[in-house]
Amino acid sequence: MRLLTKATLLFLVVALLVFGVGGIITYQMVVEEVQLETDWYLDETFKATVKGIRAGKSIEALDNEKVIITPLLGANWPDTMAHYKDTIAEHFNLRRLEPHRNLTKIKKIDDTYYRISITDVLIEVDDMYEGVVGVLSRLFLFLTASVILGSILISRWLFKPFTKLLDRLSSFNLKNTSGLEVPETSTREFNQLNSFLRSMTDKAQRDYRSLKEFTENASHEMQTPIAVAKGKLELMLEAPELDEEQAGLIQGAYQAISRLSSIGHSLTLLSKIENQEFSVSQNIDFSKLVENSIEYYRELAELKEIQLESKVTPGVQLPIESSLAEILVSNLIKNAIQHNTPGGWISLELSADHLSVKNSGAPPSIDPGKLFERFRKGNQSGGSLGLGLSIVKKITEASDWSVTYDYENETHHLQVTFN
Amino acid sequence: MKVLIVEDEKELSENVNAYLTNGGFICEVASTFWEASDKISSFSYDVVLLDIMLPDGDGLNLLRILKQENSNTGVLILSAKNALDDRVTGLELGADDYLTKPFHLPELQARLKAIFRRRMMDGRNDVVFNEVRLDPDTMEAWVGDEQLPLTVKEFELLLFFITNKKRVLTKQSIAEHLWGDNVDFLDSFDFVYQHIKNLRKKMTSAQGNDYIKTIYGMGYKFTD
Repeated sequence: MRLLTKATLLFLVVALLVFGVGGIITYQMVVEEVQLETDWYLDETFKATVKGIRAGKSIEALDNEKVIITPLLGANWPDTMAHYKDTIAEHFNLRRLEPHRNLTKIKKIDDTYYRISITDVLIEVDDMYEGVVGVLSRLFLFLTASVILGSILISRWLFKPFTKLLDRLSSFNLKNTSGLEVPETSTREFNQLNSFLRSMTDKAQRDYRSLKEFTENASHEMQTPIAVAKGKLELMLEAPELDEEQAGLIQGAYQAISRLSSIGHSLTLLSKIENQEFSVSQNIDFSKLVENSIEYYRELAELKEIQLESKVTPGVQLPIESSLAEILVSNLIKNAIQHNTPGGWISLELSADHLSVKNSGAPPSIDPGKLFERFRKGNQSGGSLGLGLSIVKKITEASDWSVTYDYENETHHLQVTFN
Repeated sequence: MKVLIVEDEKELSENVNAYLTNGGFICEVASTFWEASDKISSFSYDVVLLDIMLPDGDGLNLLRILKQENSNTGVLILSAKNALDDRVTGLELGADDYLTKPFHLPELQARLKAIFRRRMMDGRNDVVFNEVRLDPDTMEAWVGDEQLPLTVKEFELLLFFITNKKRVLTKQSIAEHLWGDNVDFLDSFDFVYQHIKNLRKKMTSAQGNDYIKTIYGMGYKFTD
């Protein structure tokens, strides 16, 4: 739900509450005021009647629908206090029962006691209720209409810089050299948000650049000393007086350094994929690439007496950077050659929506769930780095593909599913 | 064969210098952009070994200067930066080959000799070692008058041996030469062994000498 819609709804709920409570208070005040006014009128009528009697007007002349004067016999009536009461009487005009207000008082006028009873019709509570509700509901409808209209206008005008900012944020790319362009606004909060986002994205871009620089430099600066050490060892192997044990030591150091170098290369590759430094410009002929890789590794497989079968659907076009695709496919095939048994087999299948590599081999010695983690390897003594499948995983993630592994009937099965 | 080594890492250029000098090359070393451009304009070299990343300039600019001055000089680009666009730019500018650090010295020597062969020997490209003769263009090999039935990989292996004759070749350097650094698993040593066994068999059955010596703990050496 949009922010403004939400705020509008909340405001209307609060307004409804206020109008409800306000309505009750208004209603009560109106009822009270009406009663006060009626009582005042009754009192005034009473005084006028008393004045009339004193002035010698006949009782018949004063008596009417509202005023009933009863002369009382005897002299011992007490002067009563004014006594107001609500009553139901027949309306003199409408001829039906209506609520009335009545004032009855005994008053001694010129030695005669009179009971004077004055009755007046009360405004009906129902009418007052209807009146209040009618007014307030119309007001509320008007308020609702104007609030909704107002929120539409506000979202068009007031929130314009905000929606613009959201648009630019969604199209913001870390790899771009230009920073985030924030829209001009005179609203303080939006200005704060803009400058905050601006500094945040600038920092993210700086960090991204320095990370990228680091991976580039790390690969260059690390490989140079490795190359130096490797060269020294190779020169050392040329020494004529080398005995077998010394040669073994040099060979060991040499292998360790080669390994270090490959780890460096693989880690650099992993972070490059993570940094999304490989951009996809167009589809590549994946079928052709798979065929080439198969031919490349067929010889290695045969040297290990492994049967390599393949079923490649021609013309599969996929949006992936070609060197990444090459690494993906060759890592899968290499993996299948490596974790195989002499005289085993590999079966590779490429269709429009997946690439599947099956191979014979011993069951995995590690938890299959951890197979794609870095430096996980079934065979600790082997020459593999344990990075091949994590690179496969990263490449599939970067391409929005998925990769799965299972082991069944003495068969390893790795499948990459394209989207 | 005269080689200019342009490399800012002193130790590395020393290694290369020592190895190549040992292999019969005449080497000179430049460690900065200006030193290198000075040498290029003053002397002529058969091949320039060029590190792209120099402290005081872009190695690719050096390549441009070189191609303007003397187009007959071969160039082997040397860098850890295995970014594809650098490689493409380098080759477009006229470099002959590209080698990424870290590399094996025998590999470097083989590449240099290949560049040299392509550039210097007009028509006659044959590589000869006693009775063994190889034609890198047609990928044919002979022992005496008898042609050897070699596979592509066996031919490449034999050529690698002869261009690095009398030198110790480790199994890694052979494996990387044959399959590139894609082959990062230890199993590749078995493959190297297989290929060497087959190559030996084919050469001896053609009445050739067995020049491939196993150096225990180290690798192999091609020598008489």
